[in-house]
Amino acid sequence: MGGEKHTGEVKAYICMCEKVTLEDVDKALKEGIRDLESLKRKLRIGMGPCQGRFCIPALISYVSRKLGVPPEKLAYPIVRPPLEPVPAKLFLQVKYDEI
Amino acid sequence: MMRYETIIIGGGITGLATAFSLANKGAGKVVVLERNYLGSGSTFRSAGGIRASFTSKEHIALMKRSIELWGKLASELSIKYARSGYLWLSSTEKGFEKLKAYMKLHNESGVPTRIVEEDFVKQVAPHVDTSRLVGALFDPLAGKASPFDTIYKLYAAARSLGVEFRTEENVEEIITHQSVVQGVRTSNQRLEAENVVVATGAYVHELLKPLSVDPHVEPIPHYAAITEEFGRLFDPLIIDFESGAYAVQTFHGNVIMGVETPEKPYSSLEVSIKFLYKVVKEWSKWLPWLPEVNILRHWPGYYEVTPDHHPVLGPVNKYEGLYVATGFSGHGFMMGPVTGEIIANWILRGDPGIPEARNLTLERFESGKLIQELAVIG
Repeated sequence: MGGEKHTGEVKAYICMCEKVTLEDVDKALKEGIRDLESLKRKLRIGMGPCQGRFCIPALISYVSRKLGVPPEKLAYPIVRPPLEPVPAKLFLQVKYDEI
Repeated sequence: MMRYETIIIGGGITGLATAFSLANKGAGKVVVLERNYLGSGSTFRSAGGIRASFTSKEHIALMKRSIELWGKLASELSIKYARSGYLWLSSTEKGFEKLKAYMKLHNESGVPTRIVEEDFVKQVAPHVDTSRLVGALFDPLAGKASPFDTIYKLYAAARSLGVEFRTEENVEEIITHQSVVQGVRTSNQRLEAENVVVATGAYVHELLKPLSVDPHVEPIPHYAAITEEFGRLFDPLIIDFESGAYAVQTFHGNVIMGVETPEKPYSSLEVSIKFLYKVVKEWSKWLPWLPEVNILRHWPGYYEVTPDHHPVLGPVNKYEGLYVATGFSGHGFMMGPVTGEIIANWILRGDPGIPEARNLTLERFESGKLIQELAVIG
């Protein structure tokens, strides 16, 4: 970036929104956190603005290789609504008589 | 066959804090069984608020100790915890009068809540709009912790003290013989133990019903929503006194919001657009910027509610070696540390340590000695 001196440190990011590196994933796996729901919550992978669109497939592929488990055996984390970030004012348009 | 001193069923804060307490006291072999993933039941659905400003002597005594223990956990395990307070905001004269009455009750019980001026509100909550503020009550002893961080750090600490964890393993039955606990049968195997602690929150009936034990717990759905992240907006957990809605800024910077909606006990956990409408409507009054910010996620979760809104905590007299910790009625996360200590004390020395906790065993429903509590929020 803008003329900054490179420190020589190279990091491989698996989740750009929350700045999670492969090293973080390795560390968590070593601690015994191995399912995707827990990795998501421990490392915040997929909890940023992209809501897991980019990072969760990458995570599945990485964990699958690391643990030697076929990717289809790794359950995809539950997707919480809304499917993508939406302005809160959207919900103000909901009209109910009795709330 | 594997033999343990204590089997803990449920990998939420109650189970983990109990495991950590037992392991700290060197209480032999302990295993935590979780059928899903750690924190998946209610802990990870919680907003993470922590307070002692209740109105029963039981809640106050337990929460004062729990707050001490939260401080210890923060310094020993570097759990993300802050004593950043609770702030009740009222926009009506009537509400303000009620807040003053609460303050009197709290102060008489040694909880140092105080009425604060608009200037103070602006200091601790710079992004709350005070133009409609009539009165505010502040609880300086209260605070917040990160449910994720708490679970993973308790897990790592308990594990390093020798506690065994088995996730994705369902307990199908608690085995007893002549009213003495023998162990459990899981989806994989039979495990033996002297003591079994049932810390399965809203799902406690599944294991206790076959033993003809009624925990007097009803799961009632509640909801939360979280915004994208921001810099500092407000430090305390804030409560709109008129609607009971709460909002808290997480350590990460997101805002979690909740509000009570009428729900039937035992309803399934589903998305609620009515909730989203109501919570955005209520908080837009104090947070005028809210309509323009993004909601990232919304999720349901259970409060496991007892008739007197107090937990069921301690030994089950009908069976030797059986302990239960549930019925927190929305306060299970904040009570986690003290619950762990109380259950460990019951197991190791046959008394809860905190005298008030004697009133919280299951027997109170048979003897009719229910507890009075006035302040239940969102």
